[in-house]
Amino acid sequence: MKDTYILAIESSCDETSIAIIKNGHKEISNIVLSQMDTHSNYGGVVPEIASRMHIENITIVLEQALKEANLTMEDIDAIAVTYGPGLVGSLLIGLQAAKTLSYVYNKPLVPVHHIAGHIYANNLEKSMEFPLIALVISGGHTELVYMKEDYSFEVIGSTLDDAVGEAYDKVARVMNLSYPGGPKVDKLAHEGTDTYDLPLPLDDDSYNFSFSGIKSAVINLRHNEEQRGNQLNLPNLATSFQNRVVEILTKKTMKALKEYKVKNLIIAGGVSANKGIRERFSELCVQENINLTIPKLEYCTDNAAMIGAAGYYAYKLGRRADLDLNVKATDKLN
Amino acid sequence: MISLFLDTCSQIIRLGVLSDSKLIDYTEFTNDNKLSEKLLPAMKEMLEKNKYRVNDLNRIYISVGPGSFTGIRIGVTVAKVIAWSLNIDIIPISSLEVMASYDTDKKYICSFMDARRGFVFAGIYDNELNTYIEDKYILFDQLLEEMKDIKDNTLFVSNDDNYISCVESKINVERIVLKHINDKSVNPHNVNPIYLKLTEAEEKLNDKNN
Repeated sequence: MKDTYILAIESSCDETSIAIIKNGHKEISNIVLSQMDTHSNYGGVVPEIASRMHIENITIVLEQALKEANLTMEDIDAIAVTYGPGLVGSLLIGLQAAKTLSYVYNKPLVPVHHIAGHIYANNLEKSMEFPLIALVISGGHTELVYMKEDYSFEVIGSTLDDAVGEAYDKVARVMNLSYPGGPKVDKLAHEGTDTYDLPLPLDDDSYNFSFSGIKSAVINLRHNEEQRGNQLNLPNLATSFQNRVVEILTKKTMKALKEYKVKNLIIAGGVSANKGIRERFSELCVQENINLTIPKLEYCTDNAAMIGAAGYYAYKLGRRADLDLNVKATDKLN
Repeated sequence: MISLFLDTCSQIIRLGVLSDSKLIDYTEFTNDNKLSEKLLPAMKEMLEKNKYRVNDLNRIYISVGPGSFTGIRIGVTVAKVIAWSLNIDIIPISSLEVMASYDTDKKYICSFMDARRGFVFAGIYDNELNTYIEDKYILFDQLLEEMKDIKDNTLFVSNDDNYISCVESKINVERIVLKHINDKSVNPHNVNPIYLKLTEAEEKLNDKNN
């Protein structure tokens, strides 16, 4: 069978990335230009700066992706692009570039949902087995997704307010840790003990999540301790916070696996790099005989390789967009 | 030689096709929040109507700002990706110079766009499109002060009439292209928007550091 090459573009936040993926699972090239260092000066991603950096780098990254793959645009079967969700100004650069390439080279244009990309990052490591439950956790997303087969997404739960990664970054700020603080909280959590009385967030029968409550609890805790003249024990606070987050994530995910009678679990998104989360899920999945897959670190954070992997299946299903495709800041995964 | 002319920096989107320096087709439409959807279909339609394919293009004249940040980026991304793909010439032009290509008897043309809080993006050109005062981000009152010697001999061109009595821009694509026909092409990687203004986050950070 003839090989299928997808050129994929991802620019939904602060990474300009272009990749070439063969047959939906093999990375031929994956260039990721992160703007993290710039945004860290501002304590978070500044959308206007992100857009400015995307446009400066888009053709450079494109040229590099082709060069590294040792391919030309003529070798490409289709162009996949993240159309949303994400920052509008950032998405627009990747989208216009993708549409222009589709026009100039007369190649099919395949729109890809960012979360579909995160899930399909797993396919770059080993072939995904269905049915499965995917837990997508990142700075912008927290979703539980049931997939009966390839490219069929049923979102069974999502966050009602902050995403997990957002909660981590905000708690890190309360603890005076510099941006991006999430990984620092994770590190500290391995040094402390669970001494602080924090609530288990949205501990109900649904598959939804809510992290603004526990974030507020941390803010109040700091305030109260300051009033009493007490020093916060940062490692213990990090451990207490992380334990609660891990507990609710595992509780609802394991419940979903049981209720949907699914034996395959995928974890995806930037926060799947979190050691505490990885460790606890690994333990539980061994206990429950669940087949767990977590992509390697470079596929957890935003990258175009994952968009190319998802794009391949969308392409095979005949999903196409025209030159009037627009970006979407928010959009349901389907 | 077939050239494309594109300006997406102001409230009016301008798109033209030229054969050498002769304008073959030209269209304008309003820059609303659907520019991202409309631009490439409009370009494709214009080229097809004139029996061209995009691969027939030899050169792109692209307006690179100042103006609407998002508008500039949509046009510049399309232009630089076409130029990179087809390996053709790309010539960046100031959006204010584009607006200043107004046929008039006045000696100078001041083109400007509202940049909020009393500020404008403004440039002053003579009637042969030579720069008289460089494009800048400036308080409108200060601009008037700087140009007081030539004000009476200046035509104000803008689509924002809340600052001064002015005419709406009516551009002359052929004059712009003739002015730049011998410009050296720029590497598409280096064709980027000219914002003339830092982001608010950068301004705040600079203030803090000073």
